[in-house]
Amino acid sequence: MLMHFAFRNLWRHRQRTFVTIAAMGLAGSIMIFYSALMEGMLFASERNAISMNSGEMQLHVENYRRDPDLYKRIDGSYSIINKLQQAGFNASPRLYGFALAAAGTASSGVKMSAIDIDYESKVTKIHNHVMRGSWLSKDLPNDVVIGRRLARTLGVDVGDEVVIVGQAADGSMADALFNIRGILKSVGEEIDRAGFYMNVSTFRELMVIPEGSHEIVIMPKDGYSNTLNERLEQVRKLVPQLELLSWKKLLPAIAEILDMTDASIVVMILITYIAVGMVILNAMLMGVFERIREFGVMKALGFSPWQIFSLILLESQIQVALASMITIGVGIPLSLYFSVHGIDLSQFTSGFTFGGVALDPHWRSMLTPQSVIMPVGLLFAIATLAVIYPAIKAAVIQPIEAIHHQ
Amino acid sequence: MRALIVSVALLLASITLPTGAVTVQPSDASITRAKEILKGIDDLWRGDSSHAIFSMHVRTEHYQRTMQMEAWSKGKDKSLVKILKPLKEKGTASLKSGKHLYSYLPRTDRTIRLTSGMMMGSWMGSHFTNDDLVDESRMEEDYTPAVTFEGQRNGQNIIEFALIPHEDAAVVWGKIIMTIFANSLLPIEEIFYDEDGVETRRMTFSDYKVMAGAERPAVMRVTPTDKPDEYTEIIYEKLELNVDLKDSLFSINSLKHRH
Repeated sequence: MLMHFAFRNLWRHRQRTFVTIAAMGLAGSIMIFYSALMEGMLFASERNAISMNSGEMQLHVENYRRDPDLYKRIDGSYSIINKLQQAGFNASPRLYGFALAAAGTASSGVKMSAIDIDYESKVTKIHNHVMRGSWLSKDLPNDVVIGRRLARTLGVDVGDEVVIVGQAADGSMADALFNIRGILKSVGEEIDRAGFYMNVSTFRELMVIPEGSHEIVIMPKDGYSNTLNERLEQVRKLVPQLELLSWKKLLPAIAEILDMTDASIVVMILITYIAVGMVILNAMLMGVFERIREFGVMKALGFSPWQIFSLILLESQIQVALASMITIGVGIPLSLYFSVHGIDLSQFTSGFTFGGVALDPHWRSMLTPQSVIMPVGLLFAIATLAVIYPAIKAAVIQPIEAIHHQ
Repeated sequence: MRALIVSVALLLASITLPTGAVTVQPSDASITRAKEILKGIDDLWRGDSSHAIFSMHVRTEHYQRTMQMEAWSKGKDKSLVKILKPLKEKGTASLKSGKHLYSYLPRTDRTIRLTSGMMMGSWMGSHFTNDDLVDESRMEEDYTPAVTFEGQRNGQNIIEFALIPHEDAAVVWGKIIMTIFANSLLPIEEIFYDEDGVETRRMTFSDYKVMAGAERPAVMRVTPTDKPDEYTEIIYEKLELNVDLKDSLFSINSLKHRH
């Protein structure tokens, strides 16, 4: 019977009902979209940070990072990479070595990074960060790509020559002449100052290291379907003999900045929710107070306070249920659209950095279960809370008072 | 850093031994006497000019290699070392001119100047640093010596010194303990401590024989304390002193030439 009354009441004030439902529905959609945009920004900053150089995880021989020694190498790195690929990861081997680079009368210490181009391009995006010239090529073994500050220190540009002198793994002198093929954009302090990228085969010959690698960089083929901790566990089980570090340990400063951003985004979302909640609260309050005389009459006709209270609550729940459909029906497609197309910010900036990491100027939203459940749940919570006070008021009011209520 | 100089000085500096210039006088005040002895040892490695051929044997956890080198020096700030063997590195040369160190790389035909950041790096894969090659400190000037032991040890008459650097001395060591023969005043061993008082390396001298007119150790070995199985040994094959060398030998241009 109450259901019948509730629908009848809503239908009789259909204009107000529709406005309320529409207001709640759109407010909910905006919350979903806003959450998705924020999630998208966080995810993009994180992916950007890790796809620049560090990858999501790295494998090393125990203590390599504390003491990067030419001899602390991972044996059979390609078979480990194969295993990882079968488990849904992309992985790339790397070798490092310190040497002196000289051009003309200038010289500077460099950190040689030897990469396997085919594998590396699936894992990191460093090849997209060439400022001048171009990225390494497999056909040009004597070409290198260097950091921008290093280029300035050495006074060299694309096309110039640079000499490398170091000590090979067998103690002999490692020296060779290289052509500068590209100069990187700013990608991070160490790479800017000392980054010296070369083909892995060139490095092996120069440093007399026929096999093994110092580092295996890992990226999941898709980063959405499970959590970082689950992926870490997966890799740990595959290669228990090696030291596994997640990007949060590799880039602690950036991880901290992103955690802080995460916290501040929660605060921003909360503020948005409160603002949207006020709209809903207002709609619910007005819906009841406008009809206070009507409730007085119903009480005079014999409705109990409990029945009035339930009726009002039921009406609000019906409205929220309809509003949720709008919320989901509008919010999800909207978020999905922008998760594919993104908001193009390139007309405002040519590329910006966030926490020292270059960002893609396309701002994409990212729809997570949380960004749907939270707004819809909140819609119900706010609507219910908002209606309790007027419902109690209507339930306990004296009919005579209600009828004279202005 | 003076310490290393003693060792590398053998390769780089000429050796003139002013025989009998230092006489041990037990009645002398300890410091004055120690300084006199140190001056003698410093002068042992320094002279007007020198020409030497020596081999360097390096043994580390990861590799073992032997090189043969030829070295020239003139005064205290000019020296040149060229690799004769192995073939891969033949012609590679290190030139010290004043406080600068240059390397000539025959494979790339380039000469580079080592920056200060490279000075603590290994020289030619050995346990010597590049800094050891350019160091010009003198024990007698940069350190305050004290005789800590004098008498018989292992059946030999020895003198042991503790050398503490002056506060303003540009040296990397915190302390050096040096042992010499009491009679000949030739060095037996030097132990180097860092600024925290931790032993870092040990240099031992052996195979004393007459070279260039006086008795000198033909073999010196440096062993890093944290890796007792590793060492670098320098063995003199030929030594000539006070030879006539042109200044132009110690120029960047001459690095490329084969001698």
